[in-house]
Amino acid sequence: MKISSSQMFRNFNKWCLGLATALFMTGTFNSHAQGGDLFKAKCATCHQVFKDGTGPKLYQVRTKWEEGGAKEGSIIQWVQNWEVAAANDPYALQVSKVKASAMNAFPTLTEEQVISILDWVDEQEETVATASIARGAAASDVEEESSLGWVWIIIGAMFVVIILSVGGVRRQLKNAEAEASGSEFDASMSYSDEFKLWAWKNRKYVGLGGLIVVVSIVVTLFLGLYSIGVVEGYQPSQPINYPHSVHAGEAGIDCRYCHNSVTESKSAGIPSVNVCMNCHKQIAGTGEQVAEIQKIYDAAGWDPEAGVYTGKTQPIVWNKVHVLPDHVYFNHRQHVNVGGVDCKQCHGDMTQQMETAMVMPVEELNKIEGNVTLSKPTMTMGWCIECHHEKEVAMGPLYKEGGSEYYNEIHRRLMSGDKSLYSQYLEDGKVTVEELGGWECAKCHY
Amino acid sequence: MKMKFRILGGLAIAAATTVILGSCTADPDSAGLEYMPDMYRSPAIEPYVDYGQVRETENVDMKMSLSAMTPPFGSVPYYGTDSLEVALMLPYHRKANIAFRQTHGMFDDELSLDDTYKMAAADNNPMPLPTDEDALKSFFANGKVLFENNCSHCHGVKGNGQGEMMVTGKFAGVPDYANLTDLSDGQMFYSIYYGKGSMGAHRSIINKKEIWTIVHYIKKLQDSDYGSPNTGVDSQEVAEVTEDDQ
Repeated sequence: MKISSSQMFRNFNKWCLGLATALFMTGTFNSHAQGGDLFKAKCATCHQVFKDGTGPKLYQVRTKWEEGGAKEGSIIQWVQNWEVAAANDPYALQVSKVKASAMNAFPTLTEEQVISILDWVDEQEETVATASIARGAAASDVEEESSLGWVWIIIGAMFVVIILSVGGVRRQLKNAEAEASGSEFDASMSYSDEFKLWAWKNRKYVGLGGLIVVVSIVVTLFLGLYSIGVVEGYQPSQPINYPHSVHAGEAGIDCRYCHNSVTESKSAGIPSVNVCMNCHKQIAGTGEQVAEIQKIYDAAGWDPEAGVYTGKTQPIVWNKVHVLPDHVYFNHRQHVNVGGVDCKQCHGDMTQQMETAMVMPVEELNKIEGNVTLSKPTMTMGWCIECHHEKEVAMGPLYKEGGSEYYNEIHRRLMSGDKSLYSQYLEDGKVTVEELGGWECAKCHY
Repeated sequence: MKMKFRILGGLAIAAATTVILGSCTADPDSAGLEYMPDMYRSPAIEPYVDYGQVRETENVDMKMSLSAMTPPFGSVPYYGTDSLEVALMLPYHRKANIAFRQTHGMFDDELSLDDTYKMAAADNNPMPLPTDEDALKSFFANGKVLFENNCSHCHGVKGNGQGEMMVTGKFAGVPDYANLTDLSDGQMFYSIYYGKGSMGAHRSIINKKEIWTIVHYIKKLQDSDYGSPNTGVDSQEVAEVTEDDQ
C-alpha cells in the first residue's frame, strides 16, 4: 500500500489527536469517532438519535432493552441479524413487532463496532429548539400597521368635525357681531350662498383650481381603467407560509421536482402533499416552522409522534397566484420543452423569494440576468406579445438535432422554399417567435 | 334649532366619510377588477380552477373543492403502439408491502403480505441500453437531467449522498451509492417507485420509463464503464431477460 507524504502527515495528525483523546479519557477510550461514522453510514438512513423515524430512536436504547428484560448481548445480535435475535430472545421478538417495516441485517458489523455506534449515540446531547422571539415581534408589527390606517381615519374625522364646528362658531360670532353693531345681518344667507359669493369674488383662482381638479380626476380615472386586469404584485394569502427561498435556494431543490408536470402539461402543477412528505417526514422544523409544517402533517395524515400515517387526510386549499382568463390559452410544456424558456423569465428568481408566491412586477424580472427585457406589466397581453417579438427561437431546439419536430418542419420549409423570406427574417440577425407565427391570434385565443 | 341640525348634519357627514374611507381596504386575495368576468371563467373543467362560480350561477358544493383530480383507480393511459414502450409503461407488477400503509401512507393501494422488496431483486431493467455510442451518450445525458431534477438535492450530483439537503444539514441519512453496489436493478426501481425508509414514493412525480432510465444512470454513477460495449454488460441480454419476465 502506497502512502503519500501528505497522507502520512494526516495519519500522523490523526494519531496524535487519538493519543491526546486517549490521555484525556483514560480507561473509557474507544473509537467513538468510528461509531459516529458508522452511525451515519449504516443507521442514519432509518434511525435518528432523539426522534422516532422509520426506525425507533436510538438514544439510551441499551438501557431500554435492559429495563425491558432483554437477554444480555441480545441487542448486538439484533443489529447483526434481527431474525436470529428474535428467535433467541422473547424481548427481541416483541421489538420486531414495534415497527411495520423490517430492519436490514448487518452481518458485517463486529460486536465492537456495534458497541461503538451505541456509545456514540448515547454521548449525543439534544439541542433544544429555542422558541423564536422574532415571530412575536413580527406579528405585533403587522398589527401596528393595520391599526395605523384606522388612526389616520379617526384623525381625519376629528379634523372634519373641528373645521365644521369652528365654521359654526364663526358664523354665530358674526351674527352676534352684526346684532351688536345694530346692522341688519342677512340670516337667510346659507353656507352655499356664502360660498358662491366667495367663489365669484375669487373666480380666477377658483376656475384654475377647478380645471386642475377636473383634469386630475380624468387622468386618475383613465389610469384606474388601465390597471383593470393588471395583476402585477398580486400576492394572495396562502394556507401555509411557504418560503421558496428555503426550498429552491438553500436546499437546492429543482423547480421541476415539485412542479413536475411543467414539462408534461399545460399547467406547472401544485405539488401533492406526498411530494412535501418526501422530505418533511423527517424535517419537522424548529421554532415558528413547526406550526406551518404541522399543517402538512394534518393534510397527509401523518402522526409525527407515533411516526405512522393514520389515513385521515384533508386537502390544502392553496390560492392560485397566476390566474389567466379562460379566453387565453397558455401551455407550460410548449414554453419549457420546445421554447427552452427558463422559469425565471416569467416567475423571477424564486431562490430569493422569502414570502409566499406573487406575480413578479416586470421591473423585477428585468433585473435578472439572461431574461428578455420587457416593458409591459407582467401577465398582460402586451407582455406576452413583446416577448414573442424579442425571443429568438434559435435559443430553443429549432436547430437542434432531435428537437421539436414542429420547429424542425418549419425550419425545413424555410430552407427549402423561397429563401428571400428567410433572409428577411434574418435581417435583425435572429428568427423570433413572432416570425414563426407567434403573433397569430389563434395561437392563444380560440 | 336650525343651527343644531347643521351641527348634527356635519357630524353625520363626518361619520359617513369615516365609514366609507374605512371600507376602502382592498381584499388581498382578490386579483382585482375584471373587464369581462364571463370570459374569465368557463364551465370547461380545468385543473386548479374554482368552479364555485361559473358565469352568474353559483355552485355551493363546488366552492373551494378540488378540480385537479387523480384518475379513477385502475385506469391505464394510452401509451401508443410501440410494444416496448407499452411494456415499460404498464402498471408495475409488484405490489407494495403491507407495511407501506403506515410508513408511506398508501391507504388507497392494493398491498401485498409478501416481502415484495426482496422479491423485486429478481427483476431486471426492461429498458435496453442503446448500442450506438452517440445514442448511449444522449441516453445518459437524459438520465443525468432526470437525476438532477429529481434526486440530486438529496443524493448529490455524483450520487455520494452529499446533496444540498445534506450539506446544509436539513436532512440526514442519505446513503452513498458506492456502498450499495450489490443492490439489484429491481430493488432500486422498487425503492424509487414506492419509497424506502425516509425516502418517499416517487411514482407520482416520475413515470416508470423515467425511473428505469434513472436506474441505468445510477449504475453509471456507480461504475463509469457501465453500458460501454467493451465491458461485460450486454444490453441484448438485458432485453431478453425482460421478455421472459413478462
